[in-house]
Amino acid sequence: MNAIEVNELSKYYGKVKAVDNISFYVKKGEICGILGPNGSGKTTTIKSVCNLIIPDSGEIKIFGQDNKKAIGHISALFEGTRNLYWRLTPRENLRYFAGIRGLGGRKIERDIDELLDRFNLSDKKDIMVNNLSRGMQQKVAIAMTLLCDTEIILLDEPTLGLDVQSHIEIKNMLMDIASTMNKTILLSTHNMNLVQDICEDVVILNKGKKATQDSVEALMDMFKSMTYEIVLTESLSEEDEEYLSKTKYDFYFINNGSKIEVDISEFDKIYEIIDKLKEKDIYIKEIKQKDNNFERIFLNITNGEVE
Amino acid sequence: MKKMYYLLKVSLEKTIKELIRYKFNTITNLLILYILFMVMFSGIRGFGISLGVSPVDMGDNLEGFIVGYFLWTIIMAAYSDIAYSIVNDASKGTLEQLNMSNMSLSRILVVRSFSNLLLDIVFSIILLLIIMQATNHWLEIKILSILIPVFIGIFSILGIGLICGGLALIFKKVQSLLNVIQYFLIGLVAVFPESNIMSGLLPFNYAARGVFSTMMGGCSFMDFRAVDYGIMVGNSLLYFILGLIIFNQCVKVAKRRGLLGQY
Repeated sequence: MNAIEVNELSKYYGKVKAVDNISFYVKKGEICGILGPNGSGKTTTIKSVCNLIIPDSGEIKIFGQDNKKAIGHISALFEGTRNLYWRLTPRENLRYFAGIRGLGGRKIERDIDELLDRFNLSDKKDIMVNNLSRGMQQKVAIAMTLLCDTEIILLDEPTLGLDVQSHIEIKNMLMDIASTMNKTILLSTHNMNLVQDICEDVVILNKGKKATQDSVEALMDMFKSMTYEIVLTESLSEEDEEYLSKTKYDFYFINNGSKIEVDISEFDKIYEIIDKLKEKDIYIKEIKQKDNNFERIFLNITNGEVE
Repeated sequence: MKKMYYLLKVSLEKTIKELIRYKFNTITNLLILYILFMVMFSGIRGFGISLGVSPVDMGDNLEGFIVGYFLWTIIMAAYSDIAYSIVNDASKGTLEQLNMSNMSLSRILVVRSFSNLLLDIVFSIILLLIIMQATNHWLEIKILSILIPVFIGIFSILGIGLICGGLALIFKKVQSLLNVIQYFLIGLVAVFPESNIMSGLLPFNYAARGVFSTMMGGCSFMDFRAVDYGIMVGNSLLYFILGLIIFNQCVKVAKRRGLLGQY
């Protein structure tokens, strides 16, 4: 059974369509990323899953149950909001948010100590949250989502606005949570490196529609095999560039024509390209498969429509 | 029951901590209530003297004024708490976290308001003692006989608070409405219709009458008839349930419009 199933979800704000008939699923125990440009519908999707937004149509299932009845399985961290009370300490915040879920007693006190210790916040536990750094506040907020011991954690832009060090710390925390605590995590982010590093599956949204859902590995493989970089012994003449441009391949001329990049659908095609270059006495110094990162994949899928 | 206990416990703890940490605000609130009372009190006394009525003859009215002011501070705190806490939480960004609880938002807010109310009553009693000392008008304070009608009746005010809170969820800026209602509430603790039915229909009015008879008429909670308790409980239930229904509808509207996280 999937932990989260979203079927044909649509949401309008007035005449603006925020989410347009999207469907995806998240398997139990996996980290799934929702990636998309600004306004692609990531936050609306996350908030619909945790019943903070009622969609116009579609259904959302949590472990097969309607999400409105399954809110006890979910905890969440939202982007752009503080998630915490600033005039309370980390310990008091954790105790308060456990209390509003009806949790308390010695076990919760022990859990709070363990979480503060796990996230290196023990020495900060009695300092008011407004005196902590942004990274530490985010750690406390993530600790809060874990304290409720829900199976599913939703994170909306968990690393937004963090410095490099805090970003790495949060990333490591999330990897640690996923590997040791067997949680299902759905996170929305702009950060493609975060998706590449910690997510198993990714849903890419663009203009409120689902562009694709696949495993990060599969997407990397799919795009890796397609781009080749050919380094030439000398720069191409204008005539040679014109000749190559008229072939059926999409050549990109780089470094004044001393390097070309070409996207191909099958590996065998590279021999045809070599033959074409040979015909014009263009000599090859090196051919290498281009390393794709997730940013390139994302741009390919969304046609570069990133704000 | 255990869940409610933990909810009440953390709500009380949070209220106390914030009262201490926002101490300037806490002290200012108390001072304003005291100064406001003294200004009004001096005004009434001055008005009586200018009409040729001696301060001694005005005794009953002044005592009534003190009781009314005491009740007004309590119900004002109760009704405004829900609405203001929604506005505060929406602007702080914590409202969505409250919505993530498996307990309903209305329950969290009511329990939180109730815990705030407990402290407000303590403050109001302290304020009452200070006022009685300052005005040299000593009233009979039977704590239990005062608190019973207050606690029964206050749920009707919490119901009004829920309605205002629901509107705050949708419209965000509702301060003007809250200010108007604040003055309407004065009427509830200052004017008592002769008809019991009419008094029983107005929120908190019948309970306020009970408090008046305790503090000024020397009654105790044992002197209330079953029908008095029935009217107080019925009135509270009516407004509280109405408040819950309207609040929950407002939550749905806010969720449909995606307004919960916005301020």
